[in-house]
Amino acid sequence: MRFVGRFAIAVLAVGVGIGAFAAAGPAVAQKRGGTLVQVTQPEPPTLGSYISTASPVGQVAAKVYDGLLEYGFDLKPIPSLAQSWTIADDGRTITFRLRPGVKFHDGRPFTSADVQFSVMEVLKKVHPRGINTFAEVTAVETPDPMTAVFRLAKPAPYIMSALSGYESPMLPKHIFEQGDIRTHQNANNPIGTGPFKFVEWRRGEFVRLDRNPDYWKPGLPYLDRVVVRFIGDTATRAAALEKGDAHVAGLGAVPYNDVKRLERLPNIQIETRGSEMLSPVVELMFNTRKAPFDNPKVRQAISYAIDRKFVIDNIWFGFGRPATGPISSNFAPTGLYSANVANYNVPDGVERANRLLDEAGFPRRADGTRFEIVHDITPYGEEWRRFGEYTQQALARIGIRATTRYEDVATWLKRTYTDYDFDMTSNWLFNLADPVLGVHRAVHSRFIRQGTVFVNGARWGDARADELMDLATVETDATRRAAQYAEVQKIVAEAAPLAWVLEVNFPTVIDRRFRDVIVSPLNIFTNFDRAWRE
Amino acid sequence: MKTFTSRFLGNPRVYLGLIWLGSLLFVALTADFLAPVDPFAIVGRPMSNPSAAFPLGTDSLGRDVLAGLLHGTRATLLIAVLATLAAVAFGTFVGAVAGYYGRLIDDALMRFTEFFQTIPSFLFAIVLIAVLSPSAANVVIAIATVSWPPIARVVRGEVLTVKSREFVQAAVVAGQGDAAILLKQILPNTLSPLIVTGSLLVATAILVESALSFLGLGAPDVMSWGFMIGAGRSFMREAWWLVTVPGIAILLTVLAINMIGEGLNDALNPRLADL
Repeated sequence: MRFVGRFAIAVLAVGVGIGAFAAAGPAVAQKRGGTLVQVTQPEPPTLGSYISTASPVGQVAAKVYDGLLEYGFDLKPIPSLAQSWTIADDGRTITFRLRPGVKFHDGRPFTSADVQFSVMEVLKKVHPRGINTFAEVTAVETPDPMTAVFRLAKPAPYIMSALSGYESPMLPKHIFEQGDIRTHQNANNPIGTGPFKFVEWRRGEFVRLDRNPDYWKPGLPYLDRVVVRFIGDTATRAAALEKGDAHVAGLGAVPYNDVKRLERLPNIQIETRGSEMLSPVVELMFNTRKAPFDNPKVRQAISYAIDRKFVIDNIWFGFGRPATGPISSNFAPTGLYSANVANYNVPDGVERANRLLDEAGFPRRADGTRFEIVHDITPYGEEWRRFGEYTQQALARIGIRATTRYEDVATWLKRTYTDYDFDMTSNWLFNLADPVLGVHRAVHSRFIRQGTVFVNGARWGDARADELMDLATVETDATRRAAQYAEVQKIVAEAAPLAWVLEVNFPTVIDRRFRDVIVSPLNIFTNFDRAWRE
Repeated sequence: MKTFTSRFLGNPRVYLGLIWLGSLLFVALTADFLAPVDPFAIVGRPMSNPSAAFPLGTDSLGRDVLAGLLHGTRATLLIAVLATLAAVAFGTFVGAVAGYYGRLIDDALMRFTEFFQTIPSFLFAIVLIAVLSPSAANVVIAIATVSWPPIARVVRGEVLTVKSREFVQAAVVAGQGDAAILLKQILPNTLSPLIVTGSLLVATAILVESALSFLGLGAPDVMSWGFMIGAGRSFMREAWWLVTVPGIAILLTVLAINMIGEGLNDALNPRLADL
């Protein structure tokens, strides 16, 4: 039976995506020219965003490489290198119509062969997340230079959320097909179709990217140049922004307390949108195979005991929202988020927690404590230390004596994900562009994988939740998929293998002279094609 | 000729130092009584200005800074003194054995000492903490490990000069064993430089402990001055007292110990006896 003739026309408009949602910007006319200086910390080890998902890599490379799609703040796809697309009814064929006349920075045209090469030979093989994202893609067919057809073994709706220039860069086949992709010399001399061309990387100082005059979006980009500077010292980074020597910094390059200080300056604005496709969630992860955390009541008690507002206001400087469950509320526009779950963020949380612990069979002893645990603190710095100290106090109120342990990253990862030698650890996981990519790994029993980091270290699993997640992985109907995830959230939140504390909104520090810098849910993992200087 | 006591206590700087250290010792012993709360307890609104309820304000989580300072005195002094005692014990042992037996043993022990001496001590302490993982005991171990070489050197030098004296030779003739000669005859005569070096070592230990805590490598459940500075440094512009108060405490304590150490040196040095 052939499905090709039965394409559902589940498609967006053709080519009008450009500037479609620039409405968020001011009503003034955009101006050409100017150099934008972005501060990135630390310096990336490579510019090969097809092989490394480290944050600094994407912050630079996303300006050079385009993806098939872009995304709006509602997480819906917008045409980019793909002008339009159709998804077959059975979800196993996705056909992209590519934009004609797009040229790589070396002048060669962009065609479906490049799509095929990028997905099949690079992303599916060497991209740390692409290996999962494109696991179901069996072939990319190229009936003509402007058509790329993805053939899937099983439906994979999440692929449509993972085609940005940051997540899935489109590489020029004629350059990257020669030699070994893992050690390719053009990793650090990137050639893409993006609004800025790579010019120079002076190690320890900066990467210079110049305007691509032949960019396929007419009249864009507005800026003449983007310079990405690497400044090792925290105070110097803040000072550069304060003085106006640097114009954009985000994703942790400036510590929260400095952000708060810079926010008061007249020349600085703070943007807190732009984490919608990253969705970091701070959580406490329990070792659910070990007493006392094998008892769901104990896990629920701790979930109740944390005052999320206190943590957000006093530790994360207000840059966050209370988290309610395994899926970030950033997915609300797509319908995948559900607030209809056990609510742990209640005013009488401490009383409820005490009651649950009594029921669980851990009465208070003479000294007021019920039991002792060790709390491993995520070794990522200041705010995690404070969070550990706060948690210690919060648990003391419900009779749990928690001693804290602070180790280096490698030891902590090994303890948590290989040796499982922990009681409770703080952590944060990014929900990414789709629950299949960012949420399943934390709560699906298939992701109990000893030795793999940032997966289901709680070693919790539920047959029904697993089944629902497996269904949602291949479900192409948005409503049914939402219903499946709603049930998953209910089950997981009730069992509380993790205590979800807050959803972090990364603040981006922006010089007021620059406009339309954060225009997408991918923060500064975007290409700045619409950014302009007053 | 003046006595040791009069030369030591007659020095006004020693007086000042002793007064400060004495009060610290008092605070350290009575911290639980003076501030009967867990210094990590969240007791007030975060970042409160100094007030009647919280004379030194509260920190970013609403913890009483005064309580932290008082309890920190105990932790800071305890870690520094224990680390110094460990360093002095080990350094004295190595130095005494090397100096007394000489030759190959001396060579071996001194090369061993130099190995530790050539590594920048603070970096070495950081590495040790990273390997051992931060805890109060490990901080003591790390500080002791980087501080004993100078002690070993001093003791070895003293033992070398003392062991050729007649009373030592007499002890040998009298048939005393090596251990007896070392412990009863030689070491008591090397005490004065050891006391001076050891007392100054306490000051260094406080600084190393504070620096480690500042970097977040101190014992996580122990409130110390360095920890307070480390936790407060992000708020220097908003709440200056968070870092300034424990900073001054460290400054005064290190200064007091140095003044006492110098006073001891002056009082114990026979060449200065009649000055």
